[in-house]
Amino acid sequence: MPRVNGTGQRIYAWFERRLQLEGPVKEAALHPVPRNTASWWYVFGSAAFTLLFLQIITGILLALIYVPSAAHAWDSLNVLNHQVPLGWYIRALHGWGSNFMVAIVLIHMAQVFLFGAYKFPRELTWILGVFLLLMTLGMAFTGQVLRFDQDAYWGLGIGASIMGRVPFIGGGLVHLLLGGPIIAGATLSRFFTLHVFVIPGLLLLFALTHVWMVLKLGVNEWPMPGRVVRRATYVQEYNKLAHEDGIPFVPGAFWKDLVFSGAVIAAVAVCALIMGPFGPGGQPDPSIIQTVPKPDFFFLWIYAVLSYLPPALETPFILIAPIIGIAILLALPFYAAEGEKSWHRRPVAVLVVSFVAVAWGSFTQLGTVTPWSPHMSAWSADAIPAKFLRGASPLVRQGANVFQDKQCRNCHAVGGRGGQRGPALDDIATRMTPDELRFKVVTGGGNMPAFGKNLSPAEIEALVAFLDTLHPPNQRPAVNPVNEVYTSTHASGGEDVSAAPGAAR
Amino acid sequence: MRKMAAVLLASTAAVLCGCHAYQRGEVSQPVPRPSAVLDFATLYGQNCAACHGPDGANGPATDLANPEYLALVDDAGLRKWIGGGMPGTQMPAFAKSSGGMLTDAQVNAIIAGMRKRWSRPGALEGAQPPPYAQTQTGDAKRGAQTYQARCAVCHKQTRDEITNPVYLALVSDQALRTMMIAGSPDIGQPDWRHDSADGKPATPLTDQDINDIIAYLDGLRNASPGFAGTAAEPQSGAPAR
Ligand code: HEC
Ligand code: HEC
Ligand code: HEC
Repeated sequence: MPRVNGTGQRIYAWFERRLQLEGPVKEAALHPVPRNTASWWYVFGSAAFTLLFLQIITGILLALIYVPSAAHAWDSLNVLNHQVPLGWYIRALHGWGSNFMVAIVLIHMAQVFLFGAYKFPRELTWILGVFLLLMTLGMAFTGQVLRFDQDAYWGLGIGASIMGRVPFIGGGLVHLLLGGPIIAGATLSRFFTLHVFVIPGLLLLFALTHVWMVLKLGVNEWPMPGRVVRRATYVQEYNKLAHEDGIPFVPGAFWKDLVFSGAVIAAVAVCALIMGPFGPGGQPDPSIIQTVPKPDFFFLWIYAVLSYLPPALETPFILIAPIIGIAILLALPFYAAEGEKSWHRRPVAVLVVSFVAVAWGSFTQLGTVTPWSPHMSAWSADAIPAKFLRGASPLVRQGANVFQDKQCRNCHAVGGRGGQRGPALDDIATRMTPDELRFKVVTGGGNMPAFGKNLSPAEIEALVAFLDTLHPPNQRPAVNPVNEVYTSTHASGGEDVSAAPGAAR
Repeated sequence: MRKMAAVLLASTAAVLCGCHAYQRGEVSQPVPRPSAVLDFATLYGQNCAACHGPDGANGPATDLANPEYLALVDDAGLRKWIGGGMPGTQMPAFAKSSGGMLTDAQVNAIIAGMRKRWSRPGALEGAQPPPYAQTQTGDAKRGAQTYQARCAVCHKQTRDEITNPVYLALVSDQALRTMMIAGSPDIGQPDWRHDSADGKPATPLTDQDINDIIAYLDGLRNASPGFAGTAAEPQSGAPAR
């Protein structure tokens, strides 16, 4: 035994003599940190780092089999799912690892913000962190595209249409992103390159630098109300704290990191085991319009926000809001490099975090439950409930045909079936008079398109006649409040079709 | 060593179980491309049910489940309307060649399915109906009289919505013709043989009667309500409510 040990030691010494890593590693591991940083609040960063390695390992395994070509990507994922032993599990680990990583990076960021850890001298650490967040989201998005199923296809289509809105260079950007004007083979190659080489390379580089700075600058001390950061004195104070009331980083604080990272990995493993991999959903094919594409959960909120914005604000919001958001994050450590770290003395910071969390949560929830895309086949598939046709006049029946043919049903449900983009119209006649109906159909408004030019006058009149019958049997249709008799007797100028046009003149 | 192998085995088994659990639930079948669907129920349900009713009847548009209709019209006629649509009406074109979403094979599958499901041998009981397609133009004046004599009994002046110019602007002559010859069991319109006040057998409508009525109704059409339309006198259309 001692002989082996001796050989081992000699090999170690041979390398150490040349690499000379022992000193720096020991220094990094044993450097003192303030005792109160050995807290369960400080474990998210290392967990994110651990997840990054899980993603790299599982990603390498997936890349062995995945075929980044438009024709084969979808099939190769199914091969992974069903033919390669445990292939499905690797996919599941990678997919869940990605979700966990996004979540943990966000939590880490919120914690760092609340603990004031971005203040002097850790501004650059924070800025790299912002880029790490963006790259993590970039990985999530490009990864979703590699799945190359319907969700990916539509997510990409929407992403491209967002880029296309950039003034002047929009078209060029789309071309750059997709490798052409449309989603095709070149698109997938681009996203594969981004997801496998470009972003991970940068991510790793940034992450290592980020960690290097954490080690060099020391872990942020536990914020105490009244202990104010000043550029002139901070480093001195910190060193004093670390030496007088400090413990060595390893194992003093490190064991909690290890335990938490282990727990996170275990959670990923269990989720992957129980819930399996994500998709692939239906194969991507623009001719399959009977789908309800949904983006991955951390992008859901964008869709919810978009579907609630009036159309005029969509473009400015999409283009400007992200830039402002990122600028604020980057400017933060310069704007607030000094001052109180404790959340007890930073009510605005606490409010901001709570507000963002609540807003994000509710929009995500809305994005999960609101059907934000029209129901594309309702116009030809969802029958008009028989009760609305019983005893209907021929004109009303034609109006029902128009209602279907002009695809009103794709956005409006009747009898519980149809799109949900606009309100259900089962009792619309109790809410709107024929005049109001005509006006709404012709001019649109809200997220309702204006149909004026796409309908002939006869179609509009038939449509209004049909809509005007949509009310519960025991409820009177709405009448013009100004003049009750108006809608039933006033018959000039096509105001009321059901009266004879000839007689009125 | 033994112990380790056992642990390894156990964990592999556990993972494999999970694997099977997952596969049982979620095998992702390739969604058939829409153009590959040839099943009548799916095609009809996806493309036609909204207007022609879930079972070919009781929708706002033509009763396609009417056996008399299917006996009257031939495949070429059906193919023409389904593939190319009825221009100027709400019947859309479905064939890819006309900008629709269905292949020729799918249109044929729909026609075959309609016949298989809704045809009834001897639906016309040996009677010879007027031809499906119009061959001659009628006379509007005579048509007005025929309308009064044969149709107004049911479509009384007070409920005279057939002559509503706006309604007429939206239906094709063929749809009117189909309606008169084959009737429409789902709404109670009699066929050409039963065209009487009570819907009992009567003197059948002749091809000329039908041509005349169509000429008469065509004279009433008014595509732009609100503008002075054709001179005809529709005393029509008191609202049905
Ligand atoms: C792209 C989806 C879409 C289509 C297609 C569409 N609508 Fe709408 N519609 C909406 C939305 C969204 C609203 C709510 C707009 C608002 O804020 O008032 C709406 C509102 C309405 C309203 C008022 C409902 C109310 O309760 O205030 C009527 C009536 C209406 N639509 C009729 C129609 C008719 C008729 C058609 C077909 C010619 C049609 N819509 C097609 C989306 C649509
Ligand atoms: C948007 C509503 C709509 C849809 C969807 C629709 N139709 Fe029609 N269809 C109509 C209307 C309305 C007419 C009558 C046209 C007229 O009034 O002139 C019609 C007429 C027809 C006719 C001719 C009837 C005749 O007089 O000979 C056939 C056949 C027909 N449809 C078959 C179909 C089939 C099959 C489908 C599905 C592939 C379909 N339609 C889908 C509205 C529709
Ligand atoms: C036995 C009574 C009866 C007779 C006779 C009759 N109809 Fe009808 N017709 C009806 C009924 C019932 C309806 C369905 C209710 C409605 O639409 O008003 C109808 C509906 C119609 C429709 C409308 C179908 C739609 O698109 O909604 C047309 C067109 C029509 N009839 C034409 C005629 C013509 C033309 C004649 C004369 C040749 C005629 N009818 C004779 C009973 C009759």
